[in-house]
Amino acid sequence: MVIEIKNLTKSFGEKEVLKDIGFSAQSGKAIGLLGRNGAGKTTTIRIIMGVFYQDGGEVLVDGKPIDREKIKIGYLPEERGLYPKKKIGEQLVYFGVLRGLSKPHAQEATARWLQRMGMSEYIDKKLETLSKGNQQKIQLAATLLCDPQLIILDEPFSGLDPVNAMLLKDVIKEMIAEGSAVIFSSHQMNYIEEFCDDIAILNGGRIALSGEINEIKRSYPRNNIEISSLQSKEIAPFIIRSLSDCIESADIDEKSSAVRVRLKDPKLKDRLLSAVMEQGFDIDCFRVCEPTLNDIFVEYAEGGI
Amino acid sequence: MKNIFKILKFEYLSCVKNKAFIITTIFLVALMLLSTALPTIIIGLMDNDEEGSNGEAPVIGLSCEVYEKELAGSELSAVYPGYEIRTVDEDKETLKSKVNDGEYSFAVLIDSELSFTYITMNNSLYGTDYETISEAVKSMYTVKELDKYGISQQDADKLMNVRITYETVTTGTDQTKNYLPVYLLMCVLFLSITSYGQFVAQSVVSEKNTRAMELLITCAKPRDLIFGKVIGSGLAGLTQLAIILLTALGSFGTLSKDIIPSEIFDYIQISSSTVILALIFFILGYFIYAFLLGALASFASKSEDLNNLTSPVVLVLTVIYVAVAIMCTGDMSGSTFMTVLSYIPFSAPMAMFVRATLSDVAVWEIAISIAVQAISVYLLGMLASAIYKIGVLMYGNPPKFVDIIKMLAKSSK
Repeated sequence: MVIEIKNLTKSFGEKEVLKDIGFSAQSGKAIGLLGRNGAGKTTTIRIIMGVFYQDGGEVLVDGKPIDREKIKIGYLPEERGLYPKKKIGEQLVYFGVLRGLSKPHAQEATARWLQRMGMSEYIDKKLETLSKGNQQKIQLAATLLCDPQLIILDEPFSGLDPVNAMLLKDVIKEMIAEGSAVIFSSHQMNYIEEFCDDIAILNGGRIALSGEINEIKRSYPRNNIEISSLQSKEIAPFIIRSLSDCIESADIDEKSSAVRVRLKDPKLKDRLLSAVMEQGFDIDCFRVCEPTLNDIFVEYAEGGI
Repeated sequence: MKNIFKILKFEYLSCVKNKAFIITTIFLVALMLLSTALPTIIIGLMDNDEEGSNGEAPVIGLSCEVYEKELAGSELSAVYPGYEIRTVDEDKETLKSKVNDGEYSFAVLIDSELSFTYITMNNSLYGTDYETISEAVKSMYTVKELDKYGISQQDADKLMNVRITYETVTTGTDQTKNYLPVYLLMCVLFLSITSYGQFVAQSVVSEKNTRAMELLITCAKPRDLIFGKVIGSGLAGLTQLAIILLTALGSFGTLSKDIIPSEIFDYIQISSSTVILALIFFILGYFIYAFLLGALASFASKSEDLNNLTSPVVLVLTVIYVAVAIMCTGDMSGSTFMTVLSYIPFSAPMAMFVRATLSDVAVWEIAISIAVQAISVYLLGMLASAIYKIGVLMYGNPPKFVDIIKMLAKSSK
């Protein structure tokens, strides 16, 4: 199943919120939807969910306009919301039924997901009696209750401790492996890198960058070199002194104590390596530094809003 | 559409399981039981007071020299059935001490043909004994005087106690019999529409406040959500009303029936058509106001905003209630003003109910009013869905009325 978002436009009053947004998600894969606050992520998600109508463009599933009655969608909103004063089991069954499950099916799914989240004992407890992290797990159970084909997660990791985050990661990975398509909106780049093959960066209502993460990273010039060594303090001055015609800069990263070299041309990498080796320095690691997703995000999401 | 039933079931169960709802219902049922049992309790207490501890009839001491004792006793016992009249030759002081001791409930000393002394321990503000005794003394005097003209005491008694019977034939609506129940039902109509409408509004705000709306709105259409909520809460309201009214009728029938004089029943006759009309107008009125209040509540982010948004609607409803109540008590239920009110959707539920039950209204007029209200319910339902869709995802300060109109105009394009 392929979900295609094509040329979406949307305005609220005079303000144009989405300008020709397009990306796609497919079964068994996750796409990271990135963007600063107000970039248009939630509006895009709400259009996919059918809460808002787009002014232009379309949402297609396998080439046909989306039929939300047929496709099962699980949505974890950024603003977490369930009924605090109702019993957990009761409200999960209600949301399951609203998503189209029969009552027995919803009851079975509720029991199954509560068990998966390690929350079975709370089925008859009111939501408000749970800690924030546990409420988050209930919210995730509500999202996945209908065994969705498309899962939309808006900041799923916020407020989770590392143990619960691990549980959530495992669950999401399972769902991807079982063939769900995941649209993952977050500011936590490490999670995006962990789950997503593709990203789409929104900036000021436009797609600033989209594609496969690895390809995007490889498209950057490979002229940043990192040399890890216990002799960093000697290597750096040596490079500046003897290879000044090849490099733009060379300095020591204070945190990792590695030498970071920016070459004038990626092809000069071999010359740098041989010069350092010939000098007899003891080198632990010599590698080309790809930009982190964070670097890419900052580069593409800066300004614009 | 199929989600409406799921939502209304959830809303209905949420309402009837709600602690506040249960407590209110129990409180109102208890109040009903108490108020219908009150006459029985009061009369029971009064009987105890009057009968004393040994259960004998209360005694009235009667001291009389100017009239024959037999005549005086019979005239007094005619106006005080259930009392033992003890005719004695005692002076004022003795009577006073016996009243004080509780031997007599009260005592009457007839001083001359046309004057008497009434001796009682506690002189009640609302006591009517003076008038009653005066009537009895007047009768004694009349009988004595007539005796002078050769008319025997028995004949005089007969003459004076002739009873006129009458029958009223009402070709239209009998206001004397309908007024009280209609007025009470109108109060119930007003109170229930206001409180259940507010309940819907509160429920919308709480879903928004807890952000449950964020998820709900992606599971169901706004139209299904508001229709389900309004119908579900309405059914819960009807359940509560039914419980309270059935309790009232049941307890009235069992606890108070033998106590309350049958004449009073003449004033509280509720015909089945009155009840059916009350039910129809409750349903229509509830829907009109619940949709309005629910839609407006969707703009409130916090409970504090709710009052500002809904108070104009509640104010309008209150003004209508007061106007209809004034018309009702002023015997103007058939006035032109009421006719106009009975066709305006917001005032029709109360105004047409009063008109239909207290004055002569053709069936077609009631039908038109009901049709106007039913169409308004549908249109308001659609409008409420549109407002709700915009409102529920809007946080921060509630928008101005003009802005709401603009947003609606834009969304309908």
